[in-house]
Amino acid sequence: MSSPEPEMPKTYKTAKAFCLTSAGWFTMATSAGMIGAGYLIAPDFMANIEWIHFGRIRPIHVNINLFGFVTPGLLAAAFYFLPRLLRTELYSEKLGIVSCVLWNIYVFAGVVGIGLGYTQGREYAELAWPVDILVGISFGLVVFNLLMTVRQRKEPILYVSIWYACAAVLLTATTYCIGNVIWRPDTGALLGIPDAIILWFYGHNVFGLLLTPLGLAVAYYVLPLVSRSPLYSHTLSLIGFWSLLVVYTHIGTHHLLQVPVPTWLKVIAIVDSVAMVIPVMIFLINIWYTVKGKLGVIYADIAGKFIFTGTIMYFFVNIQGSIMSLPQVQRVTHFNNWVVAHAHLGVLGFAGMTALGGLYYILPKITGKPLYSRFLADLQYWFVLIGVVGFTIGLTIAGLIQGNAWINGEALYRVLPEIHIYYVARASTGLLVAIAAYLGLYNVIRTLFFNPGVSR
Amino acid sequence: MRMTPKVVVVGSLAILAAVVFVMVCWPYAKRDMTPSNIYRPRTPVEAAGRAIYLKNGCVYCHSQSIRTIDWGHGAERVAQAGDYVGDRPILLGSQRTGVDLSQEGGEHPDDWHIAHFVNPRYTRPNSIMPPFEWLGIKRLETLTQYIQSLGMKQADVRMERQRYWKQEAIKAYEAGPEANVKWLAEIVPEGWRNIPNPYPTTPASLQRGQVIYQQFCIGCHGPIGDGMGPAQPYIYPPPLNFTILKGREISGGIIYYQLMNGITGTAMPYFKRELESQKIWEVGDYVAVYFINQSDANKEPRGIDASWEP
Repeated sequence: MSSPEPEMPKTYKTAKAFCLTSAGWFTMATSAGMIGAGYLIAPDFMANIEWIHFGRIRPIHVNINLFGFVTPGLLAAAFYFLPRLLRTELYSEKLGIVSCVLWNIYVFAGVVGIGLGYTQGREYAELAWPVDILVGISFGLVVFNLLMTVRQRKEPILYVSIWYACAAVLLTATTYCIGNVIWRPDTGALLGIPDAIILWFYGHNVFGLLLTPLGLAVAYYVLPLVSRSPLYSHTLSLIGFWSLLVVYTHIGTHHLLQVPVPTWLKVIAIVDSVAMVIPVMIFLINIWYTVKGKLGVIYADIAGKFIFTGTIMYFFVNIQGSIMSLPQVQRVTHFNNWVVAHAHLGVLGFAGMTALGGLYYILPKITGKPLYSRFLADLQYWFVLIGVVGFTIGLTIAGLIQGNAWINGEALYRVLPEIHIYYVARASTGLLVAIAAYLGLYNVIRTLFFNPGVSR
Repeated sequence: MRMTPKVVVVGSLAILAAVVFVMVCWPYAKRDMTPSNIYRPRTPVEAAGRAIYLKNGCVYCHSQSIRTIDWGHGAERVAQAGDYVGDRPILLGSQRTGVDLSQEGGEHPDDWHIAHFVNPRYTRPNSIMPPFEWLGIKRLETLTQYIQSLGMKQADVRMERQRYWKQEAIKAYEAGPEANVKWLAEIVPEGWRNIPNPYPTTPASLQRGQVIYQQFCIGCHGPIGDGMGPAQPYIYPPPLNFTILKGREISGGIIYYQLMNGITGTAMPYFKRELESQKIWEVGDYVAVYFINQSDANKEPRGIDASWEP
């Protein structure tokens, strides 16, 4: 790890812009989530409003979270740590701002498009073709900016965070185009079963090649700094990086175990899903040994607290994922709220918490002043933590009720009243997350623009 | 290993290319696009209905993917790759907040679907589907055409059945209450007609029957059993007014049979998949006691008393 070089004047405009992007869309994402949760409790709530009924608010919620909140949050940190680790400036702050503006335009256009019914109807690949092009350009600009920064580096050694950050944006720019079948502007889809295969290849790689590597990059950067410990093992980070790329990319078909796709494809997906334990545990061993004995220091630092919690969630979500890929388990867990719980544990619990930690780590550095309110950030931490844990437990129970009832021959309709209370529990814990998002946005805006410079 | 920019970029792209080849390109090259035995192409109206389905995110709650382990709706036909050869995009779905729709075509007549879309709770009181009244009747009809095509050739067979029995049911309804009740009784097989309700009427059984009535029946037949539930304006022949059954020799067996099998062609669905035997008998007795005021529960012939009966 390179030592900080305070003499270099830096503006970090791009990092600031992505901070604001992330914090802003977090509020929109959770608000959309609350509307969706409301529909599941009381379907006549806000009845007959075309643009936000459940079939539209759900993809809106998902897309804002993936592309509006989590990815920009992690990118904000990347735009900060890349130049620092490389002892150079960002290649172009101007280009960075352009990419961030374009990024916001595509999220906005995508969301409004889904609200108006312009959707490709494929999970994680909903955005319409013109928006896909904008996504491609935005990712392309970020890739170019980061790689050019690497090129003009003054530090010869590339730290592990840089591998992950560069690979994440580079590979996702590619898989996004493949998964959205970008050469078919009319439907954005293939015909029949191959469409499901290509969709889930891409869909799972949104986590595997975007959120996870970016999240790990932030964790690898922040946790050693916060705990003031050198990284435990370079070898482990090497094996972890390459095994993640090899293993994670194979597992998308585990979404299709109960579908008539070729069996050999399912076998590969299951084997690699179980093998996910390797990259996951390698990362966790590496990072947990790095901070070993320093948990007090971690806990005292708001960024460290968020990100270390993220690593714990990373453990749970991945071990759960490996187990869920087993066909016998999936007989119960497929098609119900278990999967929704799993998705929230991953995207909010791991990637989202890591992104928030990244924001709180870089905000004081890029503004040169302490965080506007450490208390609000702490409150946000607890709200998100209680929210996501409560959420996960509640929906997992609901999923087990549904899955076991169905497999024993109970009609779906009969199970609806049984899970209603868990939908209420989900909305209640979700409300905590939504409140946390607004607290966070206020804190970020105050820190960036109206910061008296005294921590409270 | 020294991680230079070239190693990171070329290495990760090479891995991705290899995986895309194995996991995407190879299965695509080896794809089997032979239509299955039930496959048929969609009509233009059905395709337009599918576009509405897609646009409104129906896929987020309804799968179209029957598995070997499924019981209920559509379980008679496990999905085959050849069922999907006309689907772009494929709409397998990832969640069953609502039922799987692979074989939905012909399960209900069109009017049931219209009432259900206007407000799902009109026909299914426990449903958590949002209302789609805002789509307007024209688009709802188009959407219904798509839904009725799900199951393809098998759906066509069922739709043919729906149309035939709808004619019969309308004929009977329009012939007046006397003839209608006679028709409703006589379409029940002989053996069932003479069976009284084998469960005794008790306060507890009536209470259970009421719970079932409120979860399954109230949307069409209404809270007082006069057939004036909220779904009534959309349905023809309209839901039965139970009070006309009084004095017309309707046995518990007839009610049981009609609840169990439904009346194809009308909006009256079958409940044998969702309700166990005792629940059907007890909701039948609830209807008999409260709305017809004429119950044959626990009358002879009744065989050996069940060990728990009071």
